[in-house]
Amino acid sequence: MSARDDGCALVTGGTRGIGAAVADVLRERGWKVVTLSRNGGDVQADVADPEAVERAFAEARERFGPVHVLVNNAGHRRDGLAIRMSAEEWGSVVETNLSGAFHCTRRALDDMLSARWGRIVNVSSVVAERANPGQANYAASKAGLLALTRTVAREMARKGVTCNAVLPGVIETDMTADVADGLVAAVPAGRVGQPADVAACVAFLCSEEAAYVNGAMLAVDGGLAA
Amino acid sequence: MTPEQTGTALTEDEVLDRIRTTLAEQKVPGAETASLDATWSDLDVDSLDLVELVKTLEDEFEVTIHDEELKPIASVGDAVTLVLRLDAERGAA
Repeated sequence: MSARDDGCALVTGGTRGIGAAVADVLRERGWKVVTLSRNGGDVQADVADPEAVERAFAEARERFGPVHVLVNNAGHRRDGLAIRMSAEEWGSVVETNLSGAFHCTRRALDDMLSARWGRIVNVSSVVAERANPGQANYAASKAGLLALTRTVAREMARKGVTCNAVLPGVIETDMTADVADGLVAAVPAGRVGQPADVAACVAFLCSEEAAYVNGAMLAVDGGLAA
Repeated sequence: MTPEQTGTALTEDEVLDRIRTTLAEQKVPGAETASLDATWSDLDVDSLDLVELVKTLEDEFEVTIHDEELKPIASVGDAVTLVLRLDAERGAA
């Protein structure tokens, strides 16, 4: 049993793709799950907006209890070669994927410190460590998440709070529908991954059993980065 | 009884007791008997311990401690004085 009765698990971008699969698995493990997304979800916020995040966390806390698990999964892509990438395309991806994770982490840590227990999992990407032309903004945001992960892991380790990252490879979701077929040839496993493949790893990192796993980078990519 | 229930101003002993208890919960060695003169450095209280202490004091005594107020706070006694001042200001408001 990993879920704690008095707290909840908040999953950003939890209504679709990997986030929805994570929400399902955490629910199966007994967690009260709160999905956060811009539209729909249990609470609404654009994670890039720190004030909206603060309001959403206050609402989550009020309705579901303190946040003891946070899965920073909200993200989006605006692909293009760096030579043609606008500042707006760069900024919007970094603000959502990286700053958004920080804003949510910032809010969740208050509850986790009070509980002296917490699990944060950041959903990074294989492109954080393996370049993919056309994704300078996305890759930079996902690599930034790894540095955020390691730093928070070190800062909070003494307080029973862990912070880890998963690095999904080519996962079959709406977000990768346009590119998955072209990338599958590079995957040693010979197939794309499913959201459930990632969700299982996230659920482990959120469990009591993973208490001594901290600052880890777990590739879930069928061997793509190996 | 909590201060809200009594409706009276906090005392130095109340705040000192809460600081000692909180630091003890944070497993700070010697917390239970920490004197007003004890500095964070003496007690080996680091920045994260201090954040946790501030959070507890804010919740317990219904005061808000801003970062700039926290900077000069280097000892248990400084923290007690700050909480008593904020409590008095709140009472006077």
